[in-house]
Amino acid sequence: MELTFWWVLPMALVMAGAAFWWGLTRYKQGNARRRPVAYGDRLTALPEYQSAVRRYRRWVTVMAVAAGMLIAACAVAAARPAERSTVRPEQQNRDIVLCLDASGSMSSADSAVVETFGRLAQEFDGERIGLTIFDSTAVQVFPLTDDYEYVAEQLEEARRAFDGESEAAGFLDGTWGGEGSSLIGDGLASCVRSFPGADGQQGAAQPRSRSIILATDNYLSGNPIFTLAEAGALAQESGVRIYALNPGDYDFGSDPGQPGAQLRSVAEKTNGGYFVLDDPEAVAGIIQRVQATEASRFQGSPRAVVADRAEVPLAVALLSGLVLAGASWRLKP
Amino acid sequence: MTTSLVQRVKSKLSIFAHRKARGMLDGEYGSVFKGRSLDFEDLRAYVPGDEVRDIDWKATARHGSPLIRRYVAVRRQTLLLVTDTGRNMAATSADGEDKKDIAVMALGILGYLALRHRDVVGLVAGDSAGSRSLPAKGGEAHLERLLREVHSRAGLSVPPSDLRVQLEHVARNYRQRMLLFVVADELLPDPGMEKLLRRLRAQHEILWLTIRDADLGAPGEQYDVADSLVLLSHLAGSEEVRRAYGLASAERTAGRVGMFRRLGIAEVTAGSSHEVVPAIFSLLERHRHGR
Repeated sequence: MELTFWWVLPMALVMAGAAFWWGLTRYKQGNARRRPVAYGDRLTALPEYQSAVRRYRRWVTVMAVAAGMLIAACAVAAARPAERSTVRPEQQNRDIVLCLDASGSMSSADSAVVETFGRLAQEFDGERIGLTIFDSTAVQVFPLTDDYEYVAEQLEEARRAFDGESEAAGFLDGTWGGEGSSLIGDGLASCVRSFPGADGQQGAAQPRSRSIILATDNYLSGNPIFTLAEAGALAQESGVRIYALNPGDYDFGSDPGQPGAQLRSVAEKTNGGYFVLDDPEAVAGIIQRVQATEASRFQGSPRAVVADRAEVPLAVALLSGLVLAGASWRLKP
Repeated sequence: MTTSLVQRVKSKLSIFAHRKARGMLDGEYGSVFKGRSLDFEDLRAYVPGDEVRDIDWKATARHGSPLIRRYVAVRRQTLLLVTDTGRNMAATSADGEDKKDIAVMALGILGYLALRHRDVVGLVAGDSAGSRSLPAKGGEAHLERLLREVHSRAGLSVPPSDLRVQLEHVARNYRQRMLLFVVADELLPDPGMEKLLRRLRAQHEILWLTIRDADLGAPGEQYDVADSLVLLSHLAGSEEVRRAYGLASAERTAGRVGMFRRLGIAEVTAGSSHEVVPAIFSLLERHRHGR
């Protein structure tokens, strides 16, 4: 807390002193225009007069204190108390693609992911979010967008589909057309390609952080065009970080060929993260962490921010002004 | 000051004399002292206020209208003016005049009457710090000096008033029998004062004129001369305080009047200098009938 115009305070002090002095001399000279009388104790000794004087004095004290506080608070407010702080503004120019494996084993994790993002989307401001689901083929449900209303609507739809509600079953249409199922490499590649500028226009505008939330158990059945490693390399090339959520990491031992380990290595190569989901409830927490990491990775340069903090003095001034008004109304002769 | 104080007194008296019979005050003054000598001087026409027993009935019968016998005073009587020149006298009276102006007017009128009777006039005046006495002499110039002493002494910068100091001074320093004319304000009577007055009363004739003090409940800002503190007149104007003040001042007046009645001292009050002449007239009247 500092004062922008600190010199207002000494000035106000000097002026208040001058006003006080002027008032005092006026009071002292005031007897020139008052009538001198003898035996003032004829009046001042009366208990009725004394109690009236006590009451009067009490109100005058209230008034003086209120006036003093009003002046002090106004002087402080005029000196513009300001808070100078350095902030690292969090730039909200992230792009997030939710890349969900729509195979049957994943539905509870998928449901948790879309539900969490549905909630997060309400607080987004500037982020773009896209959704791609894949099984044997990948379907882009919606591309990167900041139309959060639409996003929330679609994510709700997705949640209902993943929860197995019958009227939303059509949502997953188009993911089974290809050969095999859970072609994770293809799905991830599709997701990576859904970022704009992947075809060489990148860097035209402000750089945006890119991340993929990949929910899969990495149980491949079929013959994908891209292997997981190839898709990971593509992501790395495009500057996309992959956060993998695995609801069924049943790896045993430290063999790098196992599905969980593969997924971990791909995610970590892209500077992303790998999370094992024991419980769909934990998705929310994981996504928070992912968001936080992303946020801390993508902060603007520190800036000094000066904010006027005149609320307290102004509130005090208002309050004492009201008291002053009340007291002067009460003292009205 | 351009006009002399005695001149002012005389003009006030002449206005009064036009309204009432000329010489009435003289008659009243002349009868204050019972102990005048009986050396016949001459006759003059009766004026209301003269002692009836001074009427020369034979001469009256011859003349057709009442005639008064005048006597030559063997020794001059002394009128001692006693007043307060402390700070209280710089205050305002009930009618807003300076109290000291009223005091000067009252002292001047009685002093002037005394001079007309070839009496001598002295002065004891002062404040709580002490008294000054000026010797009794005749002549307008002397009276002027006395009045000026009173007028110039009283002010806001002098010590506070305490009439008892002056009364004690009189009790201590004057052996002869005199006519005391005390001009005071609405002082608060107490047993000490009463005892002192009883002592003076035994030796002297006492006439007392009280100058009424300002009404403290009246609107307008006022301050106490004793301590320069402002009296909050808007508080004094409230119903409750006003009523209490009325009761208290009635009680105070009753206490003072009661003391003078017990002592057998004639006392009148005056709130302005216009009231002084009638007040002195009734004072002399009451003094004559008071015993």
